Amino acid sequence: MSKKTAAMLGVMPRPVIHKALSSGERTVLWISRIVLIVFVLIVLIPMWFVLEASVNPLNSYVTFSFWPDHASLVNYIQVFKDGQWLIWVKNTVIVAMSIGLIQVFITALSAFAFSKMRFWGRKYGLMTLIILQMFPNFLAIAAYYSALSKFNLIDTMGGYILVMIGGSAFNIWLLKGYFDSVPKELEEAAIIDGANSWYRFTRILLPLAKPMLVVIFLFTIVGTFSDYIMAGMVFETPSQYTLAVGMYGLISGQFGQNWGLFSAEALMSAVPLALIFGLGQKFIASGLVAGAVKG
Amino acid sequence: MIAAVRDLDQPTPSKRVKSGSKSQKTAYLYMTPALITIAVLGIAPILYTVFIAFTDYNQMHFLNYHFVGFKNFVALFNPSNPLSAVFIPTLVWTLTYALVTTGSAYLIGLLLAVLLNNPNLREAVIYRTILIIPWAVPGMITMLVWQGLLNDSYGQINALLHTVGIPNIPWQTSAFWARVSVIMVNVWAGFPYMMTVCLGALQAIPSDIYEAASIDGANWWQKFRLITVREIWAITLPLVIPSFAFNFNNFGGVYLLTGGGPARSDNPFVGQTDILASAAYKMTLDFNRYDLASAISIVLFVIVGVISWLNMRYTGVFKEVDS
Repeated sequence: MSKKTAAMLGVMPRPVIHKALSSGERTVLWISRIVLIVFVLIVLIPMWFVLEASVNPLNSYVTFSFWPDHASLVNYIQVFKDGQWLIWVKNTVIVAMSIGLIQVFITALSAFAFSKMRFWGRKYGLMTLIILQMFPNFLAIAAYYSALSKFNLIDTMGGYILVMIGGSAFNIWLLKGYFDSVPKELEEAAIIDGANSWYRFTRILLPLAKPMLVVIFLFTIVGTFSDYIMAGMVFETPSQYTLAVGMYGLISGQFGQNWGLFSAEALMSAVPLALIFGLGQKFIASGLVAGAVKG
Repeated sequence: MIAAVRDLDQPTPSKRVKSGSKSQKTAYLYMTPALITIAVLGIAPILYTVFIAFTDYNQMHFLNYHFVGFKNFVALFNPSNPLSAVFIPTLVWTLTYALVTTGSAYLIGLLLAVLLNNPNLREAVIYRTILIIPWAVPGMITMLVWQGLLNDSYGQINALLHTVGIPNIPWQTSAFWARVSVIMVNVWAGFPYMMTVCLGALQAIPSDIYEAASIDGANWWQKFRLITVREIWAITLPLVIPSFAFNFNNFGGVYLLTGGGPARSDNPFVGQTDILASAAYKMTLDFNRYDLASAISIVLFVIVGVISWLNMRYTGVFKEVDS
């Protein structure tokens, strides 16, 4: 093989050809562009429709248009006048931040144990937990409800946060993979100096795992924004609602009447989260794969 | 690398012997918050559900429920029982939905990732930023918005189709089109995740493998099939399985979009697009049939658990934990 390799290296003037694209490469490039643009349209058109509906003051969608005749911000003004949406946003931000922070804390502690320590149950513990958690917890809604009402936690943020902070084995597994990939040399020096596990955890591993911690925090926040089953179970008065419960009520009511308002609220709810996600996208790509590559 | 991690636990043999049980205690201390919350919020409700599945706890027997053995499970699977006439088709639809949605999202994600990974495509970052948006939008908003967009008479999708000469599609009233819409919307929401994962995997493949293959005279297709697909598959499979499990139980992806409808003419419990998870949910909240809902939940759990376990063993995700 080395003979063949040498011969080919000698024959091919690669660096020269590299600059200009061959016609085959150009064809591939243009076909790629067309396919990508088709998918970009598939993604953007529904979103454009939502934007269109949100600035359409008439709430009439019988005739199709890409832009309404009398575009105005009347729906947005209405949303802020009502003020209810702002309360839902505030509630959601409070619970999502709390749940996100608690989840990251719980996940980091156990991922550290699973990655760097030995104990009984390490071998199958995480796998068992991941399988157990494929049981969707909302199916046990009767159990949750009766427990919460026993402790007078129905219709309180505390009750909701409590229901949502259960440790996630999948997050632990993701972060464990990340910890596993930290080179041992980084820790060795500390161990030789007699540093205890807490020092290794807080001073060496946690700072290195920041991207993955951000990913888990974001996942948890988006999950909380999207959850409406548990939130719907806990919250009863509209002033306590999270966005999911409030907006579900809005769209499942009178469709024609609320579509414009709903669109405005949906855009204003989704855009900030989408932006955060977009900024963290680099973290996410590297973080997820770092967890998986270790497998 | 794996060996390195193992070594780290015991810097020297003598140290390990000294602190054997103490380090075990420390490990459990770190895991306490997770273990307590998982036990109270995860495992206890499951046990309670298992218990209910073997009783007749429902509207009629709220306070004086009894242990009934496998009666609920027999009702679901016995062909002569009217309930199974609903359960079996719902099970088949749930499997179809989860497989088609996960599979399509994965294939589309892989295709787009391969296209985006072309170094000649200078503007790739623009496409990628736009294509990631459906993943970034909270699922609840996606589903509720699509419910509005796909409204039979007022929805903008039908209005768009009308302008290009396609007659109204009964997204909400026809069982077939409702199912198509459920799969379409969930693929729309799910492919960016797969694309991101595949892109990460593509970039993790060392470029010297390709160079070596080129030198050996491999053509484009051979390189794609033997290197790209194989490497990506190994890296992404552990993430595809949870995605399948997610879709299998994706209550929101169905309930917030169609409400499980359109209704079946022969049965009030379950609609045409209901998956097992939403069927069990409806039986709990709308019909107070906790017994049947729990039995369905357990069937659901067993199916997802077995598939996931087999796949995890097969892909060896947890191999490094063995020692």
